Amino acid sequence: MTKRTKGDMLLDIFVYLFLITLGVMMLLPLVNVLSKSVSEEWAITSGKVGILPVGFQLDTLRQVISSSMFIRAFGVSVVVTVAGTLISILMTALTAYPLSKRNLPGISFFMVLFIFTMLFSGGLIPNYLLMRQLHLINNLWVLILPGMISVFNMLVIKSYYESLPEALEESARIDGAKTYTILFRIILPLSMPVIATIALFYAVGYWNDYFGPMIYINDTALKTLQLYLQDVVMDASAANAVNKSVDDLMNMSPEGIRAATVVASTVPILFVYPFLQKYFIKGVLIGSVKG
Amino acid sequence: MRSASKWRLAWRNRDYYVLLIPGLLFLLLFKYTPLYGVLIAFQDFNIFEGIRGSEWVGLEQFHKLIQSDEFGRVFMNTLLISVYKIVLLFPVPVFIALVLNEVRLMFFKRTIQTIIYLPHFLSWVIISGLFVTILSTSGGLVNNIIQWFGGEPVSFFVSNDYFRSVVVFTAGWKESGWNAIVFIAAIAGIDQEQYEAASIDGAGRIRRMLHISLPGILPTVVLMFILRLGSVLDAGTEQILTMYNPVVYETADVIGTFVYRIGLGKMDYSFSTAVGLFNSVVGFILIVSGNYISRKLLKRGIW
Repeated sequence: MTKRTKGDMLLDIFVYLFLITLGVMMLLPLVNVLSKSVSEEWAITSGKVGILPVGFQLDTLRQVISSSMFIRAFGVSVVVTVAGTLISILMTALTAYPLSKRNLPGISFFMVLFIFTMLFSGGLIPNYLLMRQLHLINNLWVLILPGMISVFNMLVIKSYYESLPEALEESARIDGAKTYTILFRIILPLSMPVIATIALFYAVGYWNDYFGPMIYINDTALKTLQLYLQDVVMDASAANAVNKSVDDLMNMSPEGIRAATVVASTVPILFVYPFLQKYFIKGVLIGSVKG
Repeated sequence: MRSASKWRLAWRNRDYYVLLIPGLLFLLLFKYTPLYGVLIAFQDFNIFEGIRGSEWVGLEQFHKLIQSDEFGRVFMNTLLISVYKIVLLFPVPVFIALVLNEVRLMFFKRTIQTIIYLPHFLSWVIISGLFVTILSTSGGLVNNIIQWFGGEPVSFFVSNDYFRSVVVFTAGWKESGWNAIVFIAAIAGIDQEQYEAASIDGAGRIRRMLHISLPGILPTVVLMFILRLGSVLDAGTEQILTMYNPVVYETADVIGTFVYRIGLGKMDYSFSTAVGLFNSVVGFILIVSGNYISRKLLKRGIW
């Protein structure tokens, strides 16, 4: 080891200070909203709440999560996310497999068909008119079907398949295994790290989607959590009054309700995130280093 | 003879093509059918008549688009927000990756990584909620600090002077940490012997960072930059939709939000499709030429 120079020490100080500042900046908005969601109402409206909560109450949070609109929207989002992720991951993992066989006649043409859709799309109105024609407006399937396969995710899985040793498939074939057996018994189990990562991306995508529901869903009973949240967040800020969509919460301050709703909608992601972190970092590295 | 053996090869592997059918049906229905719908940009589309029954007007919608003051403004907004985002935000993840690479304490490194990736997983609606809270004029953290220093509170979300800054800052807040992953991976791929050789030659850590790490990831940086330029007309539609309001349309309305407002809001389907088509074509040209340049310069591209 070489001796630590003065420059190295300064670098260390800078590195740690910079990263700590960065970390605090990322956490501050979250901590602030969490504190507001549990603070006393007078403290919120008089601007006393900073990093730590002032006073402590769980009434706002309790009211928010027991509001019928919130429960319904939460449920719709869960259904769409679970169904969407399962369908997407199945479609993506299956489609990626033949495309990873580069020597198959015609396969590069099919690749071009897929990649072209990453670069060029019909745009909002043609898509909307198609969904209308398919009678998918105000139907939860509209949030799943058009996004079943993300070509980008498929390319990541495909490049993972390509990195698996070919000898594996050959020996299985010699033992008499057919294509589907190889795919389901050998390839998919071996690809679990990357499949789990992509499943996480799909799940986050479905859960967080705002644009899709906003365009295709206007039936109140089918509102997703993001749509409901947007109502609360923006109505509270613009009109400074709570909209009828949160009618069960009429007697509480909009600021507190907004904070509590944001917290209640963030918790599912905060809860899942640490468990999946290890997976997705590995998976992303696999995808990005190769690509 | 050769083509015959090709067919035989294909037939022997027919299982693979069968696996491809669901994916191809998906493409046909949800990706290629809307391309046919683009035709309404050249029509005066009437929803009851459909594409076959509506009147063809040639490039009239595009003339309207070029002459419209509103579109000019929206186009400028898109470019401005996008260029601000590129200039101010593109270097940040590169810098974060370089700095993170200097951390020796693995526990600290992991913790920081966990924290800075997190915002990527929050939706724009949640992030709008967070920043509406923190920037609020009635008791928001930032305005409290401004007032503490004796300043006037600022209504960030309804001010044409500040709205773009909010858009750029929140975009940086959400994605900077996440975007660093690619560069972190690139640094990990640098040959460790280079560092060892340099330190034997007496190079300090700053020198190693500037002369080994930075050049080592430069090709990745250039590639990511070129790709980023390809999406210059996408200033962040979903983000702006969740944040803006009529007061700041003047500075915040971008092509994506304009297409939505004109198309689904005012039901001007043909004009909106023309704007969308313009957007798609320019985006397509930018991405394809960016990839071409990257292949020439770096021998690398996305395809």
